[in-house]
Amino acid sequence: MSAVQPLPTDDAGRPLFELPDELAIDTDVARRVISGFIQGQLRQAGFERCVLALSGGIDSALVAYLVAEAIGADRLLCVMLPYRTSSPASRSDAETVIADLGCAGELVDISPMVDGYFGSNGAAGSGGEAVSEASAIRRGNFMARMRMSVIYDRSVTFGGLVVGTGNKTESLIGYTTVFGDNACAFNPIGDLYKSQVRQVAAAMGVPRQIIAKAPSADLWPDQTDEGEGAFSYPVLDRVLYWRIDRRRETDELVAMGFDRGLVERVERLVATSEFKRQVPPVAKLGPRTAGVDYLYPRRRPGSARS
Amino acid sequence: MHPLRIALAQVAPRLGDLDANLERHHALIQDARAGGAGLVVFPELGLTGYQLQDLAAEVAMRLDDPRLARLAAETRELSAVVSFVEEAGDHRLFIAAALLEDGEVRHVHRKVFLPTYGQFDERRFFAAGDVVRATPSRLGLGIGIAVCEDFWHLQMPQLLALDGAQVLINVSSSPGRDLAARNEVGLGTATSWRTLMRTYAQLTGSFVVFVNRVGVDESMTFWGGSEVIGPSGEAVFSAPFFDDDLYLVDVNLDEVRRERIALPLLRDERLELQARELGRIIAERAGMAADTTADPGAEPGLDVSPRTVAPAEPIRLRPRRRVARGQP
Repeated sequence: MSAVQPLPTDDAGRPLFELPDELAIDTDVARRVISGFIQGQLRQAGFERCVLALSGGIDSALVAYLVAEAIGADRLLCVMLPYRTSSPASRSDAETVIADLGCAGELVDISPMVDGYFGSNGAAGSGGEAVSEASAIRRGNFMARMRMSVIYDRSVTFGGLVVGTGNKTESLIGYTTVFGDNACAFNPIGDLYKSQVRQVAAAMGVPRQIIAKAPSADLWPDQTDEGEGAFSYPVLDRVLYWRIDRRRETDELVAMGFDRGLVERVERLVATSEFKRQVPPVAKLGPRTAGVDYLYPRRRPGSARS
Repeated sequence: MHPLRIALAQVAPRLGDLDANLERHHALIQDARAGGAGLVVFPELGLTGYQLQDLAAEVAMRLDDPRLARLAAETRELSAVVSFVEEAGDHRLFIAAALLEDGEVRHVHRKVFLPTYGQFDERRFFAAGDVVRATPSRLGLGIGIAVCEDFWHLQMPQLLALDGAQVLINVSSSPGRDLAARNEVGLGTATSWRTLMRTYAQLTGSFVVFVNRVGVDESMTFWGGSEVIGPSGEAVFSAPFFDDDLYLVDVNLDEVRRERIALPLLRDERLELQARELGRIIAERAGMAADTTADPGAEPGLDVSPRTVAPAEPIRLRPRRRVARGQP
């Protein structure tokens, strides 16, 4: 085993992305683990199908390929959920994935849902005048939650579990919308850093243009993750890996050559987003409280849908 | 020639579903017998699944449970190691592994070391066993049974071998993690286990039989990779990772004799020395004897003084000799 394929290159022979040495994983083992994980989650829940929101970006594209590998493309529904300002290139990349896999695809335009609240063309929406000046962040979070609503509705009609598509990097720095894009029944790539998502995507044959393009939440035109956050994914991934997986202190990271300002900023992001990664606490009152001292596996005999 | 065919049941139990797992055990014991095996080994908590949490009490069996007796009844002229949650008479729950032979429960090992760190929380749900014993068996040589984390402590394989075991059996539910590409098998957990098992086999001159489960409980994926290691420390058989299957492995138990004569490490163990030094360390740790090896300033029971935890400069244990130099 221990397969490290050469990285894919562009037409000029340059690698499509940078993969830090310490982050390189055995993609064969990763695929095997993830495949079994997806099959196990479905079996234990009594489901045979999956639904996911396909944006055209690398994370959801990779999850689509992983689900197709685990259970077959005929049991997968990919839903494209663009807003009217979403990039046309994202839509076309998503369609490429659906065509390549041969899975079911649907398009749901969320513009009327979003505009219905915030208003459009000068007319107030159901949120009233007060929300019409809402910031891009508020609108972006609202869009993420509208997508969540649609995907969970489609999960009923298609009879599939909602598969999460968030990666470890964005989860750790909190670059997610709580109850929005992080909502799912299970997540097969939530322990893969962005660099590792790219590595597995390359090994699985995710289309090159999806691997090569700059990651973006696509919440407003020309937004990019790295532009918005002023970081590069390979460096951010390395900081998180050494800080969290390998338990290195700030001073040790600085001694390794990382910029102190960056390390401290990353630490703040991780700390301030702790709440996004956990189930909300329940006020402890009774003798036995879910998540505190009532601790059962999520799936157990009798819990599967019959 | 003392041949033995060992069946490694590298299975994926269903979490909390005792009936389904019992049925699978019955079927695999029959398969093992049909395949000519004299010993069949199932993984840790193969009858219940691993990530039980509060389900542990609901799937627990007492040693006189008729379901266990029915499983034992399958073992005429056969040895089987099965693992389950045992409820003791005082209602403590143990992670148990039992040797079933000729229709009886011949021996029970209760997991001694319960990992409660990182992704593990066993001490919350289970009591730790206090007894380590090798057991004679119908195979004609001593068996030592350990459960998973028991093998991450040097004393376990040593005690079992010194107590007469020539075949050390470890049943595990080891979740795979650390998929680093630089690792030779792509899985850090597997490499660590392989190093341990080869070392134990060689240092004790014993066979090591390792059966690790596969499948998924919640977030954890168990990696399988069950093995039989010969007493020279070389692998006789290594099962694939992640596959659910029954593997038959032929060994010659005479290898133990050959190896223990050629490399008599176990013969040369110094038990009285170990017991004496352990007695001293125990008394010192309890603060009941002056600690002769402690740093200056260490509290009773602690070998290390607070100021030596992170020394700003190297500690000098003896005063430096003053050397007069360059004086007029």
